[in-house]
Amino acid sequence: MSNEEPTTEARTSAPDRSSATTSVDAGEETSDRAAEPDRTIVEARNIDVWYDEDQALRDVSMEVPEKKVTAMIGPSGCGKSTFLRCINRMNDLVDAARVEGELLLGSKNVYDADVDPIALRRRVGIVFQKPNPFPKSIYDNVAYGLEIQDVEGGHDAIVERSLERAALWEEVEDRLEESGLELSGGQQQRLCIARAIATDPEVLLMDEPASALDPIATNQIEDLIEDLAEEYTVIIVTHNMQQAARISDKTAVFLTGGELVEFDDTRQVFESPQSQRVEDYITGKFG
Amino acid sequence: MPSRVISPAGSARHLASIAIVFLDVLPPLVWLGYVLALALPLAASVAIERVDRQLPFLARFGLLAALLVASLLFVPGVVTSMPTVPTGSIIVAVTLGGPIAAIVGRFAAGRLENRRTGLAVGGGSFLAVLGAAFLGSSVGLAALPATILTSVSLVPAAAYVLVVAIDRPGRRIGLLLPAVVFGGALLGAVVVDAMNFAGPNSWIDWGFLTGVHNSSSAAAAGFYPVIGGSIILMVIVAVLAFPLGVGTAVYLEEYAPDNRFTRIIDVNISNLAGVPSVVYGLLGLGLFITYLGESPGTALVGGATLGLLILPIVIISAREAIRSVPDSMRQASYGMGATRWQTVKNVVLPEAFPGILTGTILAIGRAIGETAPLVVVGLPSVIYSLPTDLSSSVGAMPMQIYAWASLYAGPGFYNSAVPAGVVVLLVVLLAMNSVAIALRNRYQREN
Repeated sequence: MSNEEPTTEARTSAPDRSSATTSVDAGEETSDRAAEPDRTIVEARNIDVWYDEDQALRDVSMEVPEKKVTAMIGPSGCGKSTFLRCINRMNDLVDAARVEGELLLGSKNVYDADVDPIALRRRVGIVFQKPNPFPKSIYDNVAYGLEIQDVEGGHDAIVERSLERAALWEEVEDRLEESGLELSGGQQQRLCIARAIATDPEVLLMDEPASALDPIATNQIEDLIEDLAEEYTVIIVTHNMQQAARISDKTAVFLTGGELVEFDDTRQVFESPQSQRVEDYITGKFG
Repeated sequence: MPSRVISPAGSARHLASIAIVFLDVLPPLVWLGYVLALALPLAASVAIERVDRQLPFLARFGLLAALLVASLLFVPGVVTSMPTVPTGSIIVAVTLGGPIAAIVGRFAAGRLENRRTGLAVGGGSFLAVLGAAFLGSSVGLAALPATILTSVSLVPAAAYVLVVAIDRPGRRIGLLLPAVVFGGALLGAVVVDAMNFAGPNSWIDWGFLTGVHNSSSAAAAGFYPVIGGSIILMVIVAVLAFPLGVGTAVYLEEYAPDNRFTRIIDVNISNLAGVPSVVYGLLGLGLFITYLGESPGTALVGGATLGLLILPIVIISAREAIRSVPDSMRQASYGMGATRWQTVKNVVLPEAFPGILTGTILAIGRAIGETAPLVVVGLPSVIYSLPTDLSSSVGAMPMQIYAWASLYAGPGFYNSAVPAGVVVLLVVLLAMNSVAIALRNRYQREN
């Protein structure tokens, strides 16, 4: 499930962003995806976020490996969703939000003045907590990103492929013209995932994608996330620690006050956390 | 045919009047002749089908065609020259009431899935029509109209009500509305008769709707130029106020930052919606006529003034509609990398459109009844033609009513032209509001 690699400190200050920042001990691989070395795709360096006078994130630094599932867990209000929204600059839409520090996608700081947040969001897809398909047909929902990016030519093939990758094609292939709102909650969420991957983003952000769904739909979404990680970098915020343990390769634990307390391989975090506070949180003593 | 007889018949009264007009042109006996002339070949074709299925198609076709031509040539003549003929009402009862009773019976049998009830409904219908033919004259109706009314409108309506009441017990409450309308109309007619009122003498007739003002005779006065004028004004108002109002609303809701300046604008717009209309008239006078040098009373000046009047209302209702679009939709669109404008165009406006449309039509409904601003910007109170372009004079319905009630005040205009004009104005207003509601419901269903 996770790579048996040397512990990477959460507060890494290593500025080395070469293709293999984290070393891998290939001899102890257990995961089927672990053959390739981890390449960092998203790197946060000393991110602080304020909403007016309230500080939501404090000095967060972490490196997210490419084509892995990185989970962020923590109690409510700990800033994990805020961090997620920093990555594609959705926080820009909140007037009161202010972000300091560097957030590198590839090697470019997305908060540089010359970065267009619109273009950034086309490279970093997002799926929200509550399924929010547009009140359009299923087809138009998936094709939305292609429409707004003026992708030339027919969208049929891309729509079909995206729905297939989101494990929804077989359920909707006969009714692509029906409204996306007529699907069940779990189907709507998979539709939103299909919509997000139709434009082939480099990173897929998921903000508690299964918390509004029943256990069966949750299960489907989890399977889907694991499949998606073969092609995409998935960063998922979740309340559900079992979910994080099941599907993620790396886990970041945020605790109250907006601090990133621990960031490591998922197994490491859950089996032998470095910090007492994290252990207390994981074992249910607080949070 | 006195119109009072038809009016209580409710739902199918148009059908009934068409049928009655039809029989005015075509006397019952001639009608009977043709019905029989058509029934004969029909019966023959059924008979052939039953008796001999081996007959080649061509022979059957030739036989029936010959029979049809022959019966059309001879039967009507024979029927009309018969020495003794049934009365017109009996003829209609059998030829019109019979088929309708059959249709109604089949409908009932199909809906209730019960042959015997269907037979009973059909038989009852036929008996009702026959009863109307015999008894019509004794309740104050001529026998012929009574028969036609019963067969075309009463019987189908009653049968439908009955079938629905039996078939869908849960929906019986829905029958209350037509019952109230129908019963109310009937009650009104009875009361008018019992109290011996003069019958209603409508002033809204074709002449009123198509004629022009006549200062000497209220009876000859017409409303046409101002109906057209009001509609033209409303089109101008819509063209000016809709894009500007919706654009403002979109800017304020989706683009404008939340700062002191926009808050001042917010408060201003809310206050402007409450400013008396005559003040807008003064604004129009000052802005368009004095400052911009337009001539008073033109279609453009009138429309633009009314447009200013409803602009705040359009903005407020459009903002309300835009605000009701769930934020998750915008988030989804922005998250896909849409620009603000793409989000507005593809997500926000389609969602908010029914609300925007409803608010705009209701606002235009307010503009159509406004008089004061039009007086101030100098619209003529009497006008004899429609405007030919934007810079020619235009009339408006409330202006004409105002003129009749003031300049030409007298019993004739007071008692006839003014109420007739008001009714037309209200009908136009209600029609616009109905359109607004219908549009809203349609778009809501589509989503």
